[in-house]
Amino acid sequence: MYNLLRLITKYGYVLLFLILEVLCITLLVNNLPYQKRRLVSFGNSISGCFFNAQANLAEYFSLKEENQLMHEYNAMLMNALTQNVNDTSIIIDTASTTYRFIPAKVVNNSIYSVNNYLIIDKGKKDGVKKDMGVVCENGIVGKIANTTDNYSSVISVLHPYSVVSARFVENQHLANVSWETRDYRFGTVKDIPLHIDLQKGDSLVTSGFSNVYPADIMIGTIEEMLESDSKDFNAAKIRFSTNFSTLRHVYVVENKHQTEIDSLIIN
Amino acid sequence: MNNRAVIHILRFLGLLFLQVLVVDNIRLGYYVHPYVYVLFIFLLPFNIPRWQLLLLGFVSGFFVDLFNGTPGLNAAATVLMAFVRPFVISIMTRRKDINPNDEPSLSTMGVSWFITYSAILLTAHNLTLFMLEAFSFKLISVVLTQTVMSVLCSLLLIFIILLLFKKSNKK
Repeated sequence: MYNLLRLITKYGYVLLFLILEVLCITLLVNNLPYQKRRLVSFGNSISGCFFNAQANLAEYFSLKEENQLMHEYNAMLMNALTQNVNDTSIIIDTASTTYRFIPAKVVNNSIYSVNNYLIIDKGKKDGVKKDMGVVCENGIVGKIANTTDNYSSVISVLHPYSVVSARFVENQHLANVSWETRDYRFGTVKDIPLHIDLQKGDSLVTSGFSNVYPADIMIGTIEEMLESDSKDFNAAKIRFSTNFSTLRHVYVVENKHQTEIDSLIIN
Repeated sequence: MNNRAVIHILRFLGLLFLQVLVVDNIRLGYYVHPYVYVLFIFLLPFNIPRWQLLLLGFVSGFFVDLFNGTPGLNAAATVLMAFVRPFVISIMTRRKDINPNDEPSLSTMGVSWFITYSAILLTAHNLTLFMLEAFSFKLISVVLTQTVMSVLCSLLLIFIILLLFKKSNKK
């Protein structure tokens, strides 16, 4: 104990120096947006490395299910080839060649927090840019938030800020899908006009109006109608077709005409 | 002792206002941003305890930050400079050569000693500051140019200030 005290009195100034420096840099990072962004993106690329190693290891344990999934997906594509190519039930139909799909692997995924994010192993080098959409075989996943050279973070659909423009398959009406349930299986639609009659099991697809997702990608089906707090709209709880808890392989969607569309919006 | 503390406080306030009201407005292009408030740390006595030196470094940097709207930036650089000051002094002088109650200054240590001493500490300060400002190793060439130019400019200003107040320092 005495030795410890002596050590502290002798080298306490080093400790004080470190404390003060940490304090300064905390102040700096919390107050200046540029430094903050740099630190976050640096942190992302470091954590991306670790998560990638972890995901590589974990991949072996799910090879069987993965195989099964690939098999089913293959079968679906084969079916599409033999039938008419313009079948909208196929997700990666791509509406001619406006969209390019970049395959990516999920290296980290959260579903239980309030703000959920994913990290995928494709980044700037692979052509991933901010605000691109991310989908998987079964439905939508989220939107790119931040990119580093080799990794990207994705704002999951399971995020309070996430709003997806959607359309009911049965009657072509538009609606917005948000996530308020804090349950990764269910989303919410709050702006259904009163005159639309909806049944449990009706399906929702993306409208394609937001330019984040291509049109006609499956979002989910109606689980139950909810009591709405507004008199003018109905609300519904929907079951996502994407199973967020088992996401492994996703596709980043690049809209090749994005800059062209943006230029129209600005003007 | 008390009297000396008052002198140091007045010197700190004087340098602080000189820094934020006058010197911060000198921007000779993109690369030169002189810092003179650090002179306060240079002139603290040899025998000041290290923890006091660190805290004073933090406080002085923090005040400049308050005026510049860059919380933590100057403070981080000044704390680092205060941390290296004892090592620089012990490398540059033998213990028996200095009177521990003295302050490092032109009159006690000589012109060349003081300029070397200031140049080393200023480099430590400016390098930290510009690195934190750039926050990236990609801009290292810019940071180095900024450091060299600013250190030279700060040295010149500090030398002028010391010459102007030489008599009052001698007392």
